Amino acid sequence: MALLEIRSLSKYFGGLAALYQLDLDVFESEILGLIGPNGAGKTTVFNVVTGSLLPTNGQVIFRGENITGLRPDQTVQRGIARTFQASTLFMQLPVFDNVFIGFHRNYMVGAWQAWLHTSVVRKEEEAAKQRAMEILEFTGLAPLKDELAGNLPHGYQRVLGICIALATNPKLLLLDEPATGMNPGETLIMIDLFRQLRNRGITVVVVEHNMKVVMSLCDRITVLNYGKKIAEGLPEEIRGNKEVIEAYLGRKEA
Amino acid sequence: MHLVITIAMNAILGMTFALLYSAGLITLGAAAFWGIGAYTSVLLVMKLGLSFWLALPLSAMVSGGAALMLGTIIVRSPRLAFLILTLLINCVLVEGLGGIEALGGWAGIMCVPKPNPIPVPFHTPIEFVDKVPYYYLILFLLLLTVVTFYAFYTSRIGRVWRAIKLNPSLAQSLGIYPYKYQLLAFVIASTFAGLAGSFYAHYFQMVTPETFSVLKSIHIQIYAILGGLNFYVMGPVIGSIIFTLVPEYLRIAKEVEPVITGAVLILLVLFLPNGLAGIAGRFRRLASIFAH
Repeated sequence: MALLEIRSLSKYFGGLAALYQLDLDVFESEILGLIGPNGAGKTTVFNVVTGSLLPTNGQVIFRGENITGLRPDQTVQRGIARTFQASTLFMQLPVFDNVFIGFHRNYMVGAWQAWLHTSVVRKEEEAAKQRAMEILEFTGLAPLKDELAGNLPHGYQRVLGICIALATNPKLLLLDEPATGMNPGETLIMIDLFRQLRNRGITVVVVEHNMKVVMSLCDRITVLNYGKKIAEGLPEEIRGNKEVIEAYLGRKEA
Repeated sequence: MHLVITIAMNAILGMTFALLYSAGLITLGAAAFWGIGAYTSVLLVMKLGLSFWLALPLSAMVSGGAALMLGTIIVRSPRLAFLILTLLINCVLVEGLGGIEALGGWAGIMCVPKPNPIPVPFHTPIEFVDKVPYYYLILFLLLLTVVTFYAFYTSRIGRVWRAIKLNPSLAQSLGIYPYKYQLLAFVIASTFAGLAGSFYAHYFQMVTPETFSVLKSIHIQIYAILGGLNFYVMGPVIGSIIFTLVPEYLRIAKEVEPVITGAVLILLVLFLPNGLAGIAGRFRRLASIFAH
């Protein structure tokens, strides 16, 4: 059984099919690349899986549970986290606070005790602070923990977005173009980061346009175009696939 | 003395607005829940014969309950819709109270009894004859509000509110269900507004529907903004001080007052988005430039 199963998923915006009867499986502990030209529906897949969008048809099944139509906060609770294309952060808050908010759920005490700041609450907060620092250290952002998120250079903001997603302790991490705007050095660091995530048991799906990243990082690749799957397989297979090349480059004039 | 008492009460009301704002909600109906608390308290004491001291917390809870019922419907709305709906609630409440003869109609209810004397061991009971006992009571209520709100702000709930206010969709993608937390803020804010309402009714000893109009809601908004919207506790206190005192000293005619109110609000938004407390921050920054 796959970790995430997408069955015959369709999403129409008016008359336009952003996704058309898409079938997709994501297996545990793999790094899956999701590629395709702009407008192919990749971000739409993420939006439907996380619950930001309701599908027109089809099902999303996560760990055997039908999660179609759940709200984003509900899918997060089940272990799916995502990053966004644009830097979606709490810009006015420091880096540490950005990550710390992600731990709001993991408290066992209810509102009453939280309000009263009992010692139980304080202990849990300490534990959460430690885990937040662990995440920041894991990604290398620890020295910047007091810097306002809005002041960070773009590359660091993207990493912070990943940190925030990690704070929710996900089983499945959906990364939406994480390497955008990064220089080759930063990109290498990021690839290594994702590999380490997999080692920690997190399954990763990456939407990415940077082919170097996709080819070197991903175990499998799925290619979308016009909301449909046009190819799927190992990186070497995809690299030479005619339809994929056509989708990206257009058909060669005879 | 009367001014200090009024300032303290307005500060509480301003803080309820600030609480909602801290969770990303802007309300134009604050006076409505103030009014619900006031009228409820009057009814509990005059019609049911309850002691003021029982009516006080009960009225607060009725206000909170009303907020819970209304909130489950309106809190889900986007911010602008919510704003208009709270405005609507306020208008409907005022009109409704005015229309119900059993509640005194537009003339309101007079001769609201003072709070019952507080028995004190080895001492004569504290009677609410002059203003002094009211003064201590409102200060106590203000302190209660400050402490309670502060506890919320520094807790996990306060952090969640901040997240919802700054970026609701990011908050959702972190597992926060904004509706739940915003409803909580709405209920808490309205409960304390009701508390202030009960106090008001037994201090002024009369309640009329017009007191709880939208204009008062806007005043409440000004208390919060004038002091600084990012200073959830100090802000409303400062704003309340200024905006309660100024109209008293200027003695503006009642017809002109709304115009002045509107003008103040517009000027505030244009020039002082961080309120007066924010000006202190600006001075600090200016000073640090000179320090180099």
